[in-house]
Amino acid sequence: MIQPVDNVIETNGLSKSFGDVHALRGVDLAVPRHSIFGFLGPNGAGKTTLMKTLLGLSRPTSGSGTIFGHDIVQESVAIRERIGYLPQQPRFIEYLTARENLLFAAKFFFNGPQAKIQERCDEMLELVDLADKANRPTKGFSGGEKQRLGIALAQVNYPDLLILDEPASALDPIGRQSVLEIMERLRKYTTIFYSTHILDDVQRVSDNVAILNHGQVVTSGPIEIILSGKDGVVYTVTLKGKADGLGQRLSDLPWVTHASAKARNGSTIWQVSVSDEAAAEASLLRHVLSDTTVTVTEFSRKKYELEEVFMEIVKGDGDGR
Amino acid sequence: MAANRAFERVNEWNGLRGFANLLRKENRAWWGTRRWWVNALLWTGMLGGLTGLMLFVMPSLAEASGDPEVAAMGGLVPFGMEMGRSVFFQMSSLALAIGAIVLFQDAFLDEKHSGVAEWILSKPVARRSYVLAKLVAALLALPVLLIALPSLAAYLLLSLRGAVPFPVLPFLGGVGIVSIHTLFYLTLTLMLGTLFNSRGPIMGITLAFLLGGSVLGGLLKPLLFVTPWILSKVSPLVAGGQPVPAGMLWAPLAATAFWSLIFILVALAKFERTEF
Repeated sequence: MIQPVDNVIETNGLSKSFGDVHALRGVDLAVPRHSIFGFLGPNGAGKTTLMKTLLGLSRPTSGSGTIFGHDIVQESVAIRERIGYLPQQPRFIEYLTARENLLFAAKFFFNGPQAKIQERCDEMLELVDLADKANRPTKGFSGGEKQRLGIALAQVNYPDLLILDEPASALDPIGRQSVLEIMERLRKYTTIFYSTHILDDVQRVSDNVAILNHGQVVTSGPIEIILSGKDGVVYTVTLKGKADGLGQRLSDLPWVTHASAKARNGSTIWQVSVSDEAAAEASLLRHVLSDTTVTVTEFSRKKYELEEVFMEIVKGDGDGR
Repeated sequence: MAANRAFERVNEWNGLRGFANLLRKENRAWWGTRRWWVNALLWTGMLGGLTGLMLFVMPSLAEASGDPEVAAMGGLVPFGMEMGRSVFFQMSSLALAIGAIVLFQDAFLDEKHSGVAEWILSKPVARRSYVLAKLVAALLALPVLLIALPSLAAYLLLSLRGAVPFPVLPFLGGVGIVSIHTLFYLTLTLMLGTLFNSRGPIMGITLAFLLGGSVLGGLLKPLLFVTPWILSKVSPLVAGGQPVPAGMLWAPLAATAFWSLIFILVALAKFERTEF
């Protein structure tokens, strides 16, 4: 029996307009429980607007959405009870120390016991490696420290869902690495829904991805499916030597759907799309090698990088507005 | 999460969810930083100093310049008492209204602009809790720091100058009127903070209302019955046990309290619909 997918976030035709500007246009989204869901899109695509709408900080113009089955407009307080949120630029109460900010955030959820609350705050400071700065006012924190404290604040209530808006975008490589490690550590406890435009990060930690452009979700699903590309299975064959008629011979094979070549550094690189993976694995290379005038220097199944998929989708439009 | 069960969850009515925690934060901003003693010293020093000047220095200067009012009032002490009382109540009405405007013009703006409001409202917090916490904290801090301490200083100075305790009830009556006058400007400023996103309109509207009021009230007398404009002139009379012109006490007082309530309701309604 097929089990229904257990989604934490679901939106149906969610739209948000600011006057004539349509920030979100009928967004349909499903975020599975315990996934790390990367939400991609060029600047201005509507990523932050969607997050704010989910959190009740902004009202949808039309459409609907639920988180944990609660309506995002009518039951926002009940939703926020189970959420941790990291804004794009984390801000804190500046006259409070890091520990006091954590205590302040924790008191929105817990009344006591005080010792347990303190313990939880210390645990969070350890998690983000800020224990030694716990008693410093946050006013003097660096960008990386603010980001890490922001994650600790988002996580203090044991949220079932973490919403992180560009958690690593303003950080140097070491800070980014640290944030990704924290996200991986949290993976087993919570669902993480985060926006970013750093595609390497998404490919590294996410198991699900959605790409937003012009306020619309243009693709969404498990990352391995997204990375398999829309052209299906493609093999790359790099040859040396003349290969007259190879394109025709390949095209004649019943399971080859497309073959194209381009020259690079004295070699010819063939991209062969196939409809039958097993047949291609068994005999594609053999067909190529039947031409004795060529030497095969490389043969592999093509792996897409997320950047390729992303650029293909939002091609020719760096601005998602 | 299982670890969650070790904690006592916050058990508040959703309509005022987060209020207690936000009020603690607002109170901390007043009483846990230097803000409280800076304001205590500033307003007590300014209004107490001005009253002291009127009580102890001005009478001698007036007498030296041959001012006939000194003799008409029965000497230096009665003249000084009249001057001190009038100036304290009139000036405190004006100064404390300006104080309320200056202190609260950025109560919402700072946190809206910095992103702190957005962060706080991403927690299980009812929006009315956010507004009411600021208001209640202000209603705790303002009466103590801006009203009670300067009034106590003025009362002691008046009693010292008169060599007998100044009548308490009339004095408290005058302080009550000043408090309601200040409350009006506090709530007006808070409301404008929810309506506008920059300081300009907030400062402009409140100060224009305060300073332009006496001019407008002079031109359109009925306005004096439905605004706080006459209260700064009424408070010294009440404090001195002097008669107040008919209709000039309870009608403006009730109207001022009414407007304050309306401002609070508008602020709550507007903030409920504010988008971040």
